[in-house]
Amino acid sequence: MVEFFTNNLATIITAIVVFALVAAAVVKIVRDKIRHKSSCGCGCANCPISGSCNKKNTDDQPV
Amino acid sequence: MEIKIALAGNPNSGKTTMFNDLTGSAQYVGNWPGVTVEKKEGRLKGHKNIIIQDLPGIYSLSPYSLEEVVARGYLVNEKPDAIINIVDGTNIERNLYLTTQLVELGIPVIIALNMIDIVRKNGDIINIAKLAEALGCEVIETSALKGIGSTEVAERAAELAEKKVAAHMPSVFDGSVEHAIAHIEESIEDKVSARYLRWYAIKLFERDEKVIDELKLDPELLSHLEEHIAACEAEMDDDAESIITNQRYAYISRIVSISVVKKRKAKYSTSDKIDRIVTNRVLALPIFAAVMFIVYYLSITTIGDIVTGFTNDTLFGSWIMGPLTAWFAQIGVAAWLANLIVDGIIGGVGAVLGFVPQMLLLFFLLSILEDIGYMARVAFIMDRIFRKFGLSGKSFIPMLIGSGCSVPGIMASRTIENERDRRMTIMTTSFIPCGAKMPIVALIAGAIFNGAWWVAPIAYFIGVAAVITSGVIIKKTKPFAGNPAPFVMELPAYHIPSSTNVLRSTWERGWSFIRRAGTIILAASVFIWFASSFSFSGGLHMVENMDHSMLATAGNVIAPIFAPLGFGTWQSSVATIMGLMAKEEVVGVFGVLYGVAGDALKMVDSGALSGLSPIASHFTALSAFSFLLFNLLCAPCFAAMGAIRREMNSAKWTWAAIGYLSVFAYAVSLIVNQLGLLIGGHGFTGGTAAALIVLAALLWLLLRRNPYEQAQHLAAQATK
Repeated sequence: MVEFFTNNLATIITAIVVFALVAAAVVKIVRDKIRHKSSCGCGCANCPISGSCNKKNTDDQPV
Repeated sequence: MEIKIALAGNPNSGKTTMFNDLTGSAQYVGNWPGVTVEKKEGRLKGHKNIIIQDLPGIYSLSPYSLEEVVARGYLVNEKPDAIINIVDGTNIERNLYLTTQLVELGIPVIIALNMIDIVRKNGDIINIAKLAEALGCEVIETSALKGIGSTEVAERAAELAEKKVAAHMPSVFDGSVEHAIAHIEESIEDKVSARYLRWYAIKLFERDEKVIDELKLDPELLSHLEEHIAACEAEMDDDAESIITNQRYAYISRIVSISVVKKRKAKYSTSDKIDRIVTNRVLALPIFAAVMFIVYYLSITTIGDIVTGFTNDTLFGSWIMGPLTAWFAQIGVAAWLANLIVDGIIGGVGAVLGFVPQMLLLFFLLSILEDIGYMARVAFIMDRIFRKFGLSGKSFIPMLIGSGCSVPGIMASRTIENERDRRMTIMTTSFIPCGAKMPIVALIAGAIFNGAWWVAPIAYFIGVAAVITSGVIIKKTKPFAGNPAPFVMELPAYHIPSSTNVLRSTWERGWSFIRRAGTIILAASVFIWFASSFSFSGGLHMVENMDHSMLATAGNVIAPIFAPLGFGTWQSSVATIMGLMAKEEVVGVFGVLYGVAGDALKMVDSGALSGLSPIASHFTALSAFSFLLFNLLCAPCFAAMGAIRREMNSAKWTWAAIGYLSVFAYAVSLIVNQLGLLIGGHGFTGGTAAALIVLAALLWLLLRRNPYEQAQHLAAQATK
């Protein structure tokens, strides 16, 4: 067992880092989805009606 | 105690610029009217108890548009503690109309005489003491763009709010009107608070339906009020609303005559002179085409191409991917993991990130055009064209916003009052290529068309042509029949672009693009790598050849659908489907499946496209163009579909919109590919026959007589 870890240490550490990165990306996507944050390409500040959007989203009402 | 201060003023008078200056926010500022449709809130810098609220730009407190309804509803019902009325000093007569209404609200009002730097530059003199005396409220000179006077006006407004010093009501109306208003005030004084009495009385005099409904006056009282109004109308020989409007303007003329000295001006201002060329009946369109051509040419083909070439070739290709592969081998990372990181993650995310320089340059140039005021002219120019095809210029504003991202573009369609026009705009906005589609354009232009100069501009004009064509087709259907709503838009004066506005807008859009690469694109790239490296057949195992992967199996099921369009490979089919997650993922998929991150531009440089490029080997120029067309015009990403669903507020209309976009894209790509093949000497096939039938159907839909035109004409006659 120890030998396996020693022999594959670089792979294990790299895999953990990659897994953490992908997990963080997925968590962010899911969290944004739950918060009704749009994944659109130019952010809420550019939206002329972001005030309405955010307000209604917190109420969980259709915009 | 919290103090709420509302910023109210005409469209494009600088409210959002002042809001950003006061609160340190980074709200979007556009040099065209209608940028803000809902109120936005922030706290005054250094004063946590003072809330600044940015209202939509309005010309009056009459509920003629959504913006006016929002602003009026807020001012009357939510009652801010003070109002900063932002008055554009260069257009003082028109701006003061709203001022005369705001001071009637009984809320402390302070006037920010904005754009004072331009007033001075023009040589005009405004006597603020006389102006303040005539309007019954304090006036402070400001230049929101240069940060002059903004804080002073906000702090003074807060003082007035604390002391509850309302503006002194100026005597705006003639004796007989005041007489009638006094009677109305007397009749409703037990129904509204004393603070709002005059405002409600004037609105009742104008027979404002919303106010009548709100106060729920009994018919007897209403009939009593009507007697006073009718008597006044008979005396003045005009209708009540016109009497109020005319007398307000007469009052404003008197104020301006005593407080404003305008330097004798040439007949035409600099903006007028530029507009004589830029909005000229003949020159406007060629100039617009040339401007957009230069924007897309610079950002995608020349400067953008050089910077993206460096990012793809040198940064990702030479500096990251190569050394990283060697390093992984050196430290003993398993081959599959190295492959996942280098080909999967860096290949996918890098392929998208490689286009960031081009995106930033495109957004930078578009922001400059917006900030100098040219885009407002484009809406005006497009109105003339759109109107002929059933849309109004108002539809162009959402499309303009949609060139950054379709989601806010679709949502901006709310400014269109006419339900038919609004639905039509929602359906067609995503035809305009958004920022995320630009990497697809750049990739195809670079890898297939030798970086040809015409590919990027043509993508934009294909979008505009699709909007116009759809306008003609849809307008001839029953749910959309009817004349487009009139479009009135003030053209702002041209000005030198503000570096803050331009850089903020560029960064906002660019950063979102980068952020998505780190989330959706990263996750999707890992999925694509996994699905293209493993197979389920005979148990889960890694495959040497992608053609045997589970992704290839799934892609091959869908591929026949796209075969008539010329890109019936599993890779292109998967890329198109994954594009529904985010349009730039089309490039991400190619990045993983073809490893384009470091290759596409090298191939272009070497000129050996067909032999070396895995992309080029899957496409001909014709099929690549068809692929580009389909991906530009088909259903947008899921985020934009969600926006369509919210704005349509109907599942039926949402599916109709998505269905229309997909069918239209399929039809256009089919025609282009099949007729292209015919012209290219590939013979007449079943596909050619299908394309000819679709073309005939499309032409019939375009050219047929509008079956509802006569009904509209008769309805219009009947109204007259």
